Amino acid sequence: MAAFDTGSARAASGSILYERPKKTKSSVLFTDAFAKYGISIGGTLVIFAVFTIMIFLVYVASPLLDAGSVTGTKKYTLGVQADGVVETQIDEYQSLALDLTLSGKVAAFHPGTGKKIEAPGFDLAGQSATAFASTLRGDDVLFGFADGTVKTGRFVIRNDFVPLTPVPPGLSRLDERDETDGKAIYTKIIGQYRKVSVETKLDAPVQIADAGVAIVRADYRVGGTLERPLRTFVTLDATGKLRLSQAATRLNLETGEPETEVFNSAIPITVPAESVKKILLNTPGDRVLVAQRDGTIFRYNTKDFSKPELAETFKVLPDGVELTALTYLNAENSIVVGGSDGSVAIWFGVDRKTKDTTDGFVTTKVHADFEKQPAAITEIRVSQRTRMFTTSDAKGNVWLRHGTTERTLLQMPGTPDATGLVGTILAPKDDAVLSLGRNGEVYLWAVRVPHPETTLQSAFGKVWYEGYDEPQYVWQSTASTDAAEPKLSLVPLIFGTFKAAIYSLMLAIPIALLAAIYTSEFVHPRTRAVVKPVMELMATLPSVVVGFVAALVLSPIVENWIAAVVIAFAVIPLTLITASYVWQLLPSPVSNALDGVPKLIAYFLAIGAAIWLSVLSGPYIEVMFFDGDFKKWTAGQGSGQPFLFLMLTPLSFLITYLALRPVFNATYRLRLRDMTRFEAAVRELLSWGLFAALALGLAWFASVGMSQIGWDVRGGFVDTYVQRNALVVAFAIAFAEIPIIYTISEDALSAVPAYLRSGSLACGASRWQTTSWIVLPTAASGIFSAIMIGLGRAVGETMIVVMATGNTPILDTNVFNGLRTLSANINVELPEAVRDSTLYRTLFLCALVLFVMTFVINTIAEIVRQQYRKRAAQL
Amino acid sequence: MKTNDALMSSHMPFSAMAASGTSGMPEPVRRHKRSDLSAMGEPQSWIMGAALVLGLTMIVGFLGYIITIGALTFWPKPIETVTLADGKIIAGEVFRSDTYKPPAELLASRTAEVRAKVEQDLGYANRTLYRVGNFDLYGEDFVWVPDFDSKSVTYDKDLFYIERQEWGPFIGRITQLDMAGVQTANPSQEELQKASDAARKRKAEIFRLDGVEIAGINHELDKLRLKERRAVLTYGAGSKEAADVAAEVARESDELRAKYAVFEAEVTKLRQEDERFTVTLETVDKQTKTLPVSNLVRFYQANNLTTADKWSIYGSRWAEFVTAQPREANTEGGVVPAIVGTLTMMVLLSLAVAPFGVITALYLREYAQQGYLVSFIRICVNNLAGVPSIVYGVFGLGFFCYILGGSIDQLFYPERLPSPTFGTGGVLWASLTLALLTVPVVIVSTEEALSAVPRSMREGSLACGASKWQTIWRIVLPRAAPGIMTGLILAMARGAGEVAPLMIVGVVKLAPELPIDFTAPFVHFERSFMHLGFHIYDVGFQSRNSEAGRPMVLVTTLVLILLVLCLNAFAIYVRNRLKKAYNVGAF
Repeated sequence: MAAFDTGSARAASGSILYERPKKTKSSVLFTDAFAKYGISIGGTLVIFAVFTIMIFLVYVASPLLDAGSVTGTKKYTLGVQADGVVETQIDEYQSLALDLTLSGKVAAFHPGTGKKIEAPGFDLAGQSATAFASTLRGDDVLFGFADGTVKTGRFVIRNDFVPLTPVPPGLSRLDERDETDGKAIYTKIIGQYRKVSVETKLDAPVQIADAGVAIVRADYRVGGTLERPLRTFVTLDATGKLRLSQAATRLNLETGEPETEVFNSAIPITVPAESVKKILLNTPGDRVLVAQRDGTIFRYNTKDFSKPELAETFKVLPDGVELTALTYLNAENSIVVGGSDGSVAIWFGVDRKTKDTTDGFVTTKVHADFEKQPAAITEIRVSQRTRMFTTSDAKGNVWLRHGTTERTLLQMPGTPDATGLVGTILAPKDDAVLSLGRNGEVYLWAVRVPHPETTLQSAFGKVWYEGYDEPQYVWQSTASTDAAEPKLSLVPLIFGTFKAAIYSLMLAIPIALLAAIYTSEFVHPRTRAVVKPVMELMATLPSVVVGFVAALVLSPIVENWIAAVVIAFAVIPLTLITASYVWQLLPSPVSNALDGVPKLIAYFLAIGAAIWLSVLSGPYIEVMFFDGDFKKWTAGQGSGQPFLFLMLTPLSFLITYLALRPVFNATYRLRLRDMTRFEAAVRELLSWGLFAALALGLAWFASVGMSQIGWDVRGGFVDTYVQRNALVVAFAIAFAEIPIIYTISEDALSAVPAYLRSGSLACGASRWQTTSWIVLPTAASGIFSAIMIGLGRAVGETMIVVMATGNTPILDTNVFNGLRTLSANINVELPEAVRDSTLYRTLFLCALVLFVMTFVINTIAEIVRQQYRKRAAQL
Repeated sequence: MKTNDALMSSHMPFSAMAASGTSGMPEPVRRHKRSDLSAMGEPQSWIMGAALVLGLTMIVGFLGYIITIGALTFWPKPIETVTLADGKIIAGEVFRSDTYKPPAELLASRTAEVRAKVEQDLGYANRTLYRVGNFDLYGEDFVWVPDFDSKSVTYDKDLFYIERQEWGPFIGRITQLDMAGVQTANPSQEELQKASDAARKRKAEIFRLDGVEIAGINHELDKLRLKERRAVLTYGAGSKEAADVAAEVARESDELRAKYAVFEAEVTKLRQEDERFTVTLETVDKQTKTLPVSNLVRFYQANNLTTADKWSIYGSRWAEFVTAQPREANTEGGVVPAIVGTLTMMVLLSLAVAPFGVITALYLREYAQQGYLVSFIRICVNNLAGVPSIVYGVFGLGFFCYILGGSIDQLFYPERLPSPTFGTGGVLWASLTLALLTVPVVIVSTEEALSAVPRSMREGSLACGASKWQTIWRIVLPRAAPGIMTGLILAMARGAGEVAPLMIVGVVKLAPELPIDFTAPFVHFERSFMHLGFHIYDVGFQSRNSEAGRPMVLVTTLVLILLVLCLNAFAIYVRNRLKKAYNVGAF
């Protein structure tokens, strides 16, 4: 035991038997200090750790806004005349790059060092092509010749795996990763070599134009399957004839040899061949674009192969600006247009159902907010995976852009070649850009663009995606095909979050608050001691259980009895009020004796009666009001008037109440006082009946009038019925909210000092008057904070929403439709998201938004509550 | 005056009333004996009272529903043999019935009489859901029968309800028992029982060989493989040490493989033996099916049971539920892995949350300088209790699994990469995530408990010369212990009921191995686990046939609810004890 010795103790200790130690034991001091610092440090650390959550969420989500960077630049001279290069290729590991000239020569090299490698070319029999085309990937190529023939061919960049031993002969080291034997690039990977080499294949010539008429423009696509490719090409010859051709290869069953058959179809064209800058074809071969130098584009619909028709003519550039580059974006729906003024724009077809074009689609300028480049755009190359593309201009600038976000992601450093670059290509993994200078130099920029598709605008604003009529908020993280881009707008999710929260609060607030007031002001403390913990028990229900019951038990019931559910919202309050007026008919000794638990039973019976009434009348109401089938009614069948009537009822009650207030004035009440209790009760009951009839009548007439004008609630917050809908979710989330709002507001009401109540009651006010005039105003801020905390809980609810809604991320206020909240979205998508992918980070952004939202809501509530506590203590 | 007075008693604010009371009017005011009826606010109090009753009904009804349905699920139900209007016969347990609106297409194919009847009921009709079983023969276990389609219902005494290892239940007759060639037609319950008991023994032996011996050897082989890989990573490929290890591993593997072959042969023999004992089953519409006796789990003549039989079936189903592994994609069998998983997680969670929560609360209450900063921190801590659990799940995945777990893998388990050990969801990360989620709960309740310890006790202790830590350790903490316990129990209850974050950080549909078992190191922190709450979600929503899984879901729900309710009730009990102790002790 420690002791602090004092002077007086020493003075008094003349003849003590033992002397107490004068100093505190050092072990005690040590423990004390250790505890102090240990606890302080530990406590601070825990608090810090908890705050780390937010910092961590920001840390993970923030790279979304990063446009990326150029991580390295390499420049070397290849020593070949790069002029005449029409195509460049690079493999996905950046082991091998190659270029191709019009004469079919292929130069392959190692992109890291520029070391040349042997590669087979295309044997064009000494001819030089007059037209060249390649697919978007660039590995299928087509040459058109002066004699009117075309030859198709392809590069095959082979990846073979060879064992480490024996070491392939003649290997020499290129850089720290790669080795070469002069014909292929070898890269050591786990346990083996990856050998990258190139092969070329050339098909037999096909005579397309008349003999001796040169092909001047062409485009080429390969569709179908790997085994049965369908090669489609479109060619323009020097005489101005445009032809669409399909070459189908199938195995001849007799010989076992592949046979190729070519079908041609002439496309009517009215412009001279010289004016055509470019022709574009899509992979299914059902759309051909012919672009003139002045920016006029003719769109041909070739769905019917034998009968192509001109669908639309449009001009993509203002007068005086020449079209200098044109290509399809990945997925071949949008075209990117580059002009001689350095402008870039994206156009795609929007279904306007118009008569102006043959198929109703209008090609529309969708994205034009691109930064202008200082010189004419000479080449546009697109990514094979995303909506990124590079634009090169005549002064040698190469910019990397993203189509949908209109963002300039990167500008390749330096203006390498004032004469311009040719053969720019984006590596298949979007991690490098390769360009060839006209004088044989090669530029390789290593780039890192992890999240090109997200900006603040794409996450929170409207974006015009391909296939949509207008800019919209869309969440669609996984596309059905690779070509479609993920659409990651948080707005539908935030909307869904609040939709669920607000609809559920509309149910929970009345029940929880009224119950709290009743518990705090009207029931006996002993009853309260039972009732309150029971209500709090509701908060302990695991949300997965609530969600399960809501989805599998409640939602089928609600669906079957929807008319009864809808009508119950009106029947229950009306029944209760009527019952209360009937209750007043009881002589006061009886009603006083029944006060307490028997009255609770009376309430229960009244509610039961009201529900029974609703269920019973449901089918009749459905037949009378909702055309016999509520679900069909929501989809637009029948008249909207009855529902309007239901909706207007509360309003008309309020209006009638305000209008009749002069009648039910002090004089009326004085007269009530002079009657006996029974008489007064009868009078009150009659007045209520009159009042209710008036109000209902008013609502009916108003609804008839409004539906005459053409008002209909359907299409807004009442629309087509879906089984897992916001109404069911609202019921279920109410389970989570009610106990919280109830407990906190009950606490707030109980914190109102008892003497305020006593004073009011002593002055002769009734319990109800005391409650409404004294207690409620005092506790208002506490109640407010209760509602805020309930909102916070509703916003974050996860499992209930995952299970009880259809998880449809749509912007729709319809109470009978599904929704998807931020939390449900995280829950559904995160297990599938690849670490550090855009989706992964976007989901962290969702979590951050959710965190901030609930934190703000809770902080406001908490501050208000603390203020209220202080005030209640001071009263 | 009269009007004034009336107004006062009903509407005037208090100040005005007080003023008029003291104004000292000479004329005596005539007071009404009765108050105005509208001032009593009867309708208002009805609305409020009804709200309370509605709330109570919601919770009591909800719990009552879950408990009743859950408790009744395992009770053996009779089998109804229904002859349908089109002459088809089905036999099944009544699952539930409801009122619905038959679609027009269905009605169109029925007689005019039926249509008139439905018309008369405003388009509604009753229907019953039968569990007809025999999924392997029918392709569906459930059939809805509208009342107008059912012509007659009989209760055949010889119909068996047979629970099987595969394909769900079978409802029909047992026509033949084949005991390795000895055939008995229409075997009695006793004969079947005897055959089944023998089959169960064989099955248990196969299971032991398969699940313990062979799995053990596989485990050893895997360990050896990792050992070799580790040696390569440590000493470099082709080094002498690595070669030594490789040789040793090869030798040991060969031994193990030899053992493996012996066991495998034994298992194959047993399996072949087992297949010679079969039963032939026949449905009510005379389709037959022959299957091994060992495939039967439980069988009884549902319409021929005494109450005692029913109780014994009920009991045996519960016993299976709490002691067996799940079968049939979790829709049958037991929930042992889920119970073990949930409990392991709760224990780990409380081990993590208790020290941190208590230390933080001690710091905030006893050591920190009380001021704006601390009250701000307190608000924040309170708020964190309101941050959605899914946010913690996201944090847990990003930080614990990927960053912490990834680093642990790099440092300690390089031989297993690229398949992650700690770098993915697991019971440890799940527990830590939930610990983070529940630490505010513990902090708040510990703080409350600490502040409930009377100041006089601390002062007395300090006055006796005790140091601050001694006071806390000997005086404050023991008194606050029940409060701290309450917080911990509430945290555990929350942990038991929380599912959303777990789905991200380590809960799985079917865990091959339990997080706690008999192989060293006994507690496997890195393993993913099953959880009762997730089990509900998975079986109810993700399984092939959510209807077939529903009994399982209902019973699991019951178990989970009871677990959570017991924990909460215990917490409330402790809290009340605490309150009482201080109402007496405080002076």
